[in-house]
Amino acid sequence: MATEHQRTADGDTDDDASPPLGVSIAAAAVAAGVLLPVLWLFRTGLSVGLTESLALLTRPTTLQVFVNSAVLVVLSTAACVLIGVPLAYLTVRTDIPFRRFWTVMVSLPLVIPSYVGAFAFVSAFGPQGGFQRLLAPLGVAKIPEIYGLQGSVLILTLYTYPYVYITARASLKSMDTTLIDAARTLEHDRWETFRRVTLPQIRPAVAAGALLSGLYVLADFGTPSIMRYDVFTRVIFVEFGSFGRDTAILLSLQLVAVTVFILWLEARVRGEERTTAGGRSRATVSLGRWRYLAMGFAALIAGLALVVPVAILLSWVGTGSASVNQSLAFQWSYVSNSVLVAAAAAAVAVVAGLPVAYLSARYDGILPATFERISYVGYAVPGVVLGLALVYFGSQYATPIYQTLYLLVFAYVIRFLPQSVGSLRASFLSVDPSLPEAARTLGQTSAGAFRHVTLPLVAPGLFGGAALVFLTTMKELPATLLLRPSGFTTLVTHIWTAYESGYFGQAAIPALVLLFVSGLSMLVILRQEGYDVK
Amino acid sequence: MDGASGTSGGPSRRRFLEAAAAAGIIGVAGCNTPGSDGTATETSTATPAAESSEQIGSGRSPFGDRTVSGVSMSEMPDLSGELTLYSGRGEALVGELISYIEDLYPDLTVRPLYNNAAELVSQLETEGQNSPGDVFYSVNAGALGALENRGRTQSLPQDVLEFVPQNFRADSGAWIGTSGRARSVPYNTDVLSASDVPADIMSFPDESAFEDGFGWAPTYSSFQAFITAMRLLEGESATREWLTGMQELGASQYGDEFQVARAVADGEISAGLTNHYYIQRVLARRGLSAPVRTAFTQNDAGAIFNVAGACVLDTAADTTLAANFVRHLLSAEAQDYFARTTFEYPLVPAVEPIGRLPTIDELNPPEEIDLSQLSDLEATIDILRETGVL
Repeated sequence: MATEHQRTADGDTDDDASPPLGVSIAAAAVAAGVLLPVLWLFRTGLSVGLTESLALLTRPTTLQVFVNSAVLVVLSTAACVLIGVPLAYLTVRTDIPFRRFWTVMVSLPLVIPSYVGAFAFVSAFGPQGGFQRLLAPLGVAKIPEIYGLQGSVLILTLYTYPYVYITARASLKSMDTTLIDAARTLEHDRWETFRRVTLPQIRPAVAAGALLSGLYVLADFGTPSIMRYDVFTRVIFVEFGSFGRDTAILLSLQLVAVTVFILWLEARVRGEERTTAGGRSRATVSLGRWRYLAMGFAALIAGLALVVPVAILLSWVGTGSASVNQSLAFQWSYVSNSVLVAAAAAAVAVVAGLPVAYLSARYDGILPATFERISYVGYAVPGVVLGLALVYFGSQYATPIYQTLYLLVFAYVIRFLPQSVGSLRASFLSVDPSLPEAARTLGQTSAGAFRHVTLPLVAPGLFGGAALVFLTTMKELPATLLLRPSGFTTLVTHIWTAYESGYFGQAAIPALVLLFVSGLSMLVILRQEGYDVK
Repeated sequence: MDGASGTSGGPSRRRFLEAAAAAGIIGVAGCNTPGSDGTATETSTATPAAESSEQIGSGRSPFGDRTVSGVSMSEMPDLSGELTLYSGRGEALVGELISYIEDLYPDLTVRPLYNNAAELVSQLETEGQNSPGDVFYSVNAGALGALENRGRTQSLPQDVLEFVPQNFRADSGAWIGTSGRARSVPYNTDVLSASDVPADIMSFPDESAFEDGFGWAPTYSSFQAFITAMRLLEGESATREWLTGMQELGASQYGDEFQVARAVADGEISAGLTNHYYIQRVLARRGLSAPVRTAFTQNDAGAIFNVAGACVLDTAADTTLAANFVRHLLSAEAQDYFARTTFEYPLVPAVEPIGRLPTIDELNPPEEIDLSQLSDLEATIDILRETGVL
């Protein structure tokens, strides 16, 4: 049986009008944890002074940079949806061959630091790049320009579409397929069914994923810098580079303002949300001959995003200088360090995300919505800015944990919390509230109903969120550099060390290990969610 | 790019490796000779393929070998205790040297924190008086000057300062240069000859040979220091004109100067602006047959000579230990290490540079510029923005 609840502005999602106190307090505490370090940004940014602030804001380049950023975010986000949603549909609802393999492969681009991807693409497809040389004998004198907007969109799409993919996938997995059967009996064709039944149901999840992609693009620095495309973050980093910390922070508050606008916009677009019964997915769509085309699509995306950087890095393995520095020797402890902090961050982010996501999915009102939106603030500022906020917080008020792993994991959680909140919230929305209510009438306490009924139903979203946080933490660099304990090297700081000194060949091995370990971890996470592919 | 040298540049790389191996054999013989001032440096019997830490002080280099003079670490005060080092220089470049110093002394623990220099300045500024930092090690004088301006440095002892000539350290004694980097013009020898590169940086915009074939990296700190020097030497309006002129010439932007040097060697552009060692790094990897060489301008902003250096932080727990650590960066072993692994100019006069380079004395940096003035980036950034370069 499929039920459908319309969620309207008046709000009739739950009969209990006011949210449970314990959950509210937990959500408030999480929101406060995110806001505290960010408040320092406001204090520091606003100390710059009105005259200089106005001068910065009214610079002639400001408008251009703003337009550039907006165009980049809109195009990349749209492209992420166009790639992420079909891939999610193919790997959840169809009989695409090697489903689990493709699920892992198309998630993996998330762990490639975008600057590594951008650098590899420039090397491969830039003027005088490897690809151009390959084609030169065939008489191809010029390949399309990789620099600029198109290159930035290409790279950012390839490395951020997994946000849409993973959230959409979680939502599709917990969707009730009886609705689709019903639609099919009403003589809707497959496309019509997708458009009228599936799409509305996964819309909150796609919106959450698109929001994550868009905000990531907005705050990313590496790609636009390598692609020579002038955006907000580039201006901020120029300021950092010239010791203008306070000005840089003021400029990143502009980013926060843009983010708040995007969050508001997204909340408007998200509009009416439906909660539907979930957990009954069984039927898969048979693709017939099209399955190979579907596989080709997955292979093309994963291939571009994974094979190009790996191939480029590998081609450099042999080219290191004769006296390669021993500091660059690979150590297995880098792997355990990376996995340790990423797993801790994923676990904490999911636990912290639960009350926030639950409240905002189940209850209307200012507070639940505010807590949820606040959880995005840390995600909106560039990593280095958030890292500095925590440097302040740690060195002034939490000396015992400063430059320890505790503060580092805290930083990851603040940065990536929206990834777990977004994924969880979408899953909560797909749980029919009448199910836990039924459990209560059968004598369960509300906590018991949550644990035995709701939690198992949101498991795909929970593990989807954990996977997102895990994979993004695996590649996080700027906050790691600012907050890691001395001598603590992760795979990504090691890649950075090699890359920054121009030892690209030495970056290849840890990059391959990063992919391999992340792929393995994805398999473990997928197993936890009770992957049901034979 | 370097990727290309893996495919098309195979033979030349092999030639280079052979040459390096041959040079290594000569090196072993050379190392047994004491330095010219009688202070024996370490001798090494390591094979050329041995780990390079065994080569510290050995004088071995990809461009041939030499003997090393200067004050050896063994003549310096012992180091003991715990030292937190904020290093803006990469672990890949200096990690080995720092471990080497740490291993010399059983009671010394160095806690290095590696990050980009400007970010470390921001971090130190944010930590304030609660900073655990003892020594800051920077890629340029600008970051050191920025810390000095914020009152975060302590004066180094006179006998440490005296290791290097006066123009390579702060007048106040707040910081000292440990190795040098000259601004230079890499040019592609297939397209240009040395005489095609003007000796006057200000005439570059009129140089038709550079049209649509010139590269620069405006976000890079050394480039900004160069523009700062131009602003101080030629004035703001001349600097604006120069920047506009170069843009009209079609100068392309790169993310960093190593990319510029490689692009020149690849023939993507015919010339550019980089620190001198990027060219040497390309040559060391691709071999001397790579079509890139170095030109220098004379007595102008294009010829400034910047330094990597160190300072003792105001939050240092043990000032003597911190100052003596900086002293070790000026030892014969460390100075040779910089010349050999990073192709920088040693600043201690007894140690010569390595590579296809003129000596420090043959360079003609502008005399009117004091290195600490180069930290004054604000007006530079404004000009770069107004002209649309940034």
